Amino acid sequence: MSLSVFVCAACGRAVFPRRFLCPDCGGGEWREEPVDHGVLEAAAEREVRVGAVRTPLGPLAIARVESDAAQGAEVELDQDGDVPVAR
Amino acid sequence: MADYSGAVIVGAVETPYTRHPEEGTTTETLLADAFVRALESTGIERGDVDGLGVASFTHTPDRAIDLAWKLGLRPRWLMDDGNGGASGIQLLQHAVRAIQADDASTVVLLSGDHFDRESFRRLVDEYNRTTAEYLAGIPTGGPNVLFAMLTAQQMAKHGLERDDYGRLVVAQRAWAGLNPLAVYRAPLTLQEYLEAPVVAAPLHRLDCVPVVSGADALVVAAEGEGVRIRALRALHNHDGQEGDGLTTGIAELSGPLWQDAGAGPEDMDVVSVYDDYPAMALAQLADLGFAPDGDLPGFLRRRIEEERLPVNTSGGQLSAGQAGCAGGMHGLVEAVTQLLGRAGERQVEDARLAVVTGYGMVLYRYGACANAVVLDAAA
Repeated sequence: MSLSVFVCAACGRAVFPRRFLCPDCGGGEWREEPVDHGVLEAAAEREVRVGAVRTPLGPLAIARVESDAAQGAEVELDQDGDVPVAR
Repeated sequence: MADYSGAVIVGAVETPYTRHPEEGTTTETLLADAFVRALESTGIERGDVDGLGVASFTHTPDRAIDLAWKLGLRPRWLMDDGNGGASGIQLLQHAVRAIQADDASTVVLLSGDHFDRESFRRLVDEYNRTTAEYLAGIPTGGPNVLFAMLTAQQMAKHGLERDDYGRLVVAQRAWAGLNPLAVYRAPLTLQEYLEAPVVAAPLHRLDCVPVVSGADALVVAAEGEGVRIRALRALHNHDGQEGDGLTTGIAELSGPLWQDAGAGPEDMDVVSVYDDYPAMALAQLADLGFAPDGDLPGFLRRRIEEERLPVNTSGGQLSAGQAGCAGGMHGLVEAVTQLLGRAGERQVEDARLAVVTGYGMVLYRYGACANAVVLDAAA
């Protein structure tokens, strides 16, 4: 159970979603790095609860939040197809 | 080169925006309507138009050339642009360069969109590939939820309350009451703003632009009486979508912009900021330097509510409506209308200088495009 973020093979810079070229070094090779938790920095609710989750590698992922985790709380990260899910 | 001389904005028009367009209305009928109105308002002959630029989300699969054909134009310069809230200033930037280089002498710039429930849904879910792949499946259901999070973060960072945003929304509605083309013109109280139904807390209905159908047009020519460009600057993708979203690219371009213009925020008679949400209108005003002490609640209370700083004097998109890409030209059309002295009941007295911003294209978290222009009514 995890979310894949993308780490530049050349310099180690992490991004999410994936880019073509690394914003820092311009490298074009990526490895997928699983992250299984993050911090819920913001959340709002429309059709479902949506949150901005800060992953430990740096990038922020917009996720479906399937819990009532409070802002600032640690959440588990998962992936439903391409879609990040937080619990 | 920061020189934008040698071109004049000689006309600016808007078709009446509507929530529910007549049967038979399409994106191209709206764009064609704006073109005809642009010729009528300037007295320019169709045969003299040798440049055409078009911005639209829904004109597809047609391009500017389809419209040129159907309007009977033989342009020497042709451009498509779909960069949403930045498209108006973007088209203007390129049109001026075309005129300076004599690639064209009389350019008509059009922007507009027609939406029904289905086409709007498609735009929202397939706004870009990232949205289709990463956001539509959540489902975020469009940008409201993203800007709800940004608004909540702006509130926490600057000590803003909903009342504070309400001051801007209510002030814009008061301007809209003087604009016969605005879709929502009825006077609005702060209480009514606060009590509107919640969309995605803290955003309520009157924080979200009403979707309309309509089109705008600008006419830019090598010669003529009209509005000149003192300065224009753009900066897109300034932070790779990795910032807090509360500072736009305008923060970086405003210093050079004001330097080029030889003027500052305090000199502006009219201000148009891209108001997809009050929080983003406020962010752009701050980025332009209208609240140098950083006190955003105080700025809204003093400058907007009490002193009636002329911001978004058409009513802005929040009251006049957002017609897709036309939203990126709406503020320009209003500022030019004011500087030409043609704003009717809402005319700002002795309006000489205006600043207009463009902002938009939500790639993943917030708008990535930003530009701004300082306009001068000087004859």
